[in-house]
Amino acid sequence: MIDQRIYEQIRDIGRDLYLQNMISSHGGNISVRIGDKLVIKRRGAQLGRLKPHDLVETYIEKNDSGVALASTELLAHRTIYMKTPALAIIHCHPRTAIALSLSRDEIVPIDNEASYLLKKVPVVAEEFASGTIEMANTVADALRQYKIIMLRGHGSFAIGQTLEEAFHWSSTLEEACQIAVWAKIINEPFIEYRKMSDAYNKF
Amino acid sequence: MNGWAGKILDIDLSSGAVKTYPLDERMARQYVGGRGLGARILWDEVGPEVDPLSPENVLIFTVGPLTATGYQTSNRFSVTTKSPLTGTILDANSGGYWGMQFKKAGYDALIVRGRAQSPVWIEIKDDQVQIHDAADLWGMRVRAVTEKLGQNNNRRNVLTIGPAGENLSRIAAIMNDGQRSLARGGPGAVMGAKNLKAIVVEGKQRPEIMDQERFKFMLYETRKLLRANPVTSQALPEFGTPVMMNLVNAVGALPTRNAQQSQFEGADLISGEALTEKYLVKNDNCWACPIGCTRVTQTDKVKGEGPEFETMWAFGAACGVDDLAAIIEANALCNDLGMDTISAGSTIACAMELSEKGYMDSDLRFGQASVFPKLLEDMAYKRDLGSVMGDGSLRLATHFGHPELSMSVKGMEMPAYDPRGMQGQGLLYATSNRGACHMRGNMLGLEVLGLPKMIDRFQVQGKSSYVVLHQNSAAAIDSLVICKFTNMGVAEEYFARTLSAVTGIDFATGDLIRIGERVYNLERLYNIREGFTRADDTLPPRLLNEPVVDGPSKGWVSHLPEMLDEYYRARGWDANGVPKRERLELLEMDDILEAV
Repeated sequence: MIDQRIYEQIRDIGRDLYLQNMISSHGGNISVRIGDKLVIKRRGAQLGRLKPHDLVETYIEKNDSGVALASTELLAHRTIYMKTPALAIIHCHPRTAIALSLSRDEIVPIDNEASYLLKKVPVVAEEFASGTIEMANTVADALRQYKIIMLRGHGSFAIGQTLEEAFHWSSTLEEACQIAVWAKIINEPFIEYRKMSDAYNKF
Repeated sequence: MNGWAGKILDIDLSSGAVKTYPLDERMARQYVGGRGLGARILWDEVGPEVDPLSPENVLIFTVGPLTATGYQTSNRFSVTTKSPLTGTILDANSGGYWGMQFKKAGYDALIVRGRAQSPVWIEIKDDQVQIHDAADLWGMRVRAVTEKLGQNNNRRNVLTIGPAGENLSRIAAIMNDGQRSLARGGPGAVMGAKNLKAIVVEGKQRPEIMDQERFKFMLYETRKLLRANPVTSQALPEFGTPVMMNLVNAVGALPTRNAQQSQFEGADLISGEALTEKYLVKNDNCWACPIGCTRVTQTDKVKGEGPEFETMWAFGAACGVDDLAAIIEANALCNDLGMDTISAGSTIACAMELSEKGYMDSDLRFGQASVFPKLLEDMAYKRDLGSVMGDGSLRLATHFGHPELSMSVKGMEMPAYDPRGMQGQGLLYATSNRGACHMRGNMLGLEVLGLPKMIDRFQVQGKSSYVVLHQNSAAAIDSLVICKFTNMGVAEEYFARTLSAVTGIDFATGDLIRIGERVYNLERLYNIREGFTRADDTLPPRLLNEPVVDGPSKGWVSHLPEMLDEYYRARGWDANGVPKRERLELLEMDDILEAV
């Protein structure tokens, strides 16, 4: 039985992701860790309209009947929980960040907020970028060093102690990417306002 | 070994033998330093047959690879021993200057074993180590000893016990730099039992840093984050830790009158704001700390450092006292006697309830601040009622036939957060390896301050995950050793990157948390070897059975039983709370597994 408080946390963040255009109607998935289990969105459910029966509880390190219902990216979520200290995971499809991930190996923000919070977001790539063990390992390994990463052409994976924290990283990344694109469109010389920013790409 | 000094100093007070040997590299990588390194050494040194106050117990003073590098708050050090208060593994850490100075003397750890035939003190000047007669120091109080032995913050630092340690009070602290303390669990009594009055250090060496450029970047970024966070840049500098008083009271989680209530009507009078307004002389800092939460305060009778929030709560809300001057003076007296303020205040609160309920023949009543000076002196010198109270609240309450009135876990008095109003904090207390402790991880951030984000403090399901993470994180931070207040503004990923820059060894955030988990499991195994079981992972019956009577937590008890099984599963322990072999293998604890 999933606690009402946990359902409400997942429902609210799912709704926020949809309203902020971070996912399509049926895209993305989110989960939280509860002891040796996780609670994840049901496969095919709409993140923006989650009902209590849209949540699935299953083990992190072993299968049970829950896997028949769980999100396509259950494997990635499980692997991330096993390889990192994450207590919550958000996978979403931030459009500007995905666009930038198509042409670069890392996203280094130029705005103040993301410079403080993220420094650098690596872009990783996999031939089969959904539901495979290779993808799960690539994403989880990258998240050992970074709290948010981009899977090229697919979307972001963010980890945190809470869903709210992972959402913070996700929305900050998308905002940073939108600012970067606008700066590119404006096409005026960049005036550096940060000290030691040349070290961000080594973060 | 960049970061580490690479050397352990070992002094046997029974024989007078002094030796040094290299720090084991694998041990350093696995347990880093501080609390972790101390636990690993204690595992080999002190088994279940050893009485904590016997010569066979050891004191292990440790620093870490970041110590003395200049990284923010890299001044701290740790002591590890078997606790005479709880019988569990114990580590306590402290700030100030002594830890930095010890590292500069060229060591990662100091092991003190045996018992001197008569009182002695130890002087360490780099590789020169001398054991001196301390006949003229024995009996002196902390401030006087510290001054006499030449305390000079940046050059020569003094660590000592006071009368409480000499008289083997099981709540005796070890004091450093005058008014800093390795407070909890009675390490001062272990030092007293060794006839060791003081340890003085001078060092001239500088730790090696592998990647200076990366280290400077981490210093810069850490400074930026500490300045950006209102807790570390405004609340703590302006009000010190007592800023928590009104915040914790407001949510109904401030244990009052020996936890009979969870809100104190006099909280405003003993708050950080009141302390700043009426008694603050100036702020102060530990070495390399930009936060500066230290308060120098003054009343008509005393001037000194503190009190901290927990102390103000222990002599304040816990005892039903709203006389802030009396609390400041009780704090100063404890510091001079060398006694843990949390345990001392809580033990007095316990005595007040025993007396009010007629279980103890005494005139003690809640709200009596005037009793503090005599009671504290008696506790330190083990005189009259103090002969029982000086060993903490559980022994006191047991002596009078009502152990349930001791607000303690595993015999260590609970700090200033009521588990009925902070469900995660209760689980954290119950499973803390050294007894009820707010420094083995703290749900204050998540359940009250919203750091890094707010969670529901009454949520029960899922709380174990937060508690496990924060316990592991705290163990890692204690092994570095740096101040946990930095973690209010700076996440563990910064510590991992800084550790990598200093040592040249790549540590990911998860690696650091994994180190903390290894330390936590080792401590757990140590306690199991000492005979502790699932039955010891509990809270005082009051918190489990007596709902809060009014305020924001009204009607709540701790839901510990519902959280404990989930916690064990989250840790990879069996239903009895014993770490499973698979988990220990995953943590690469093969050397420990052999012994298990």
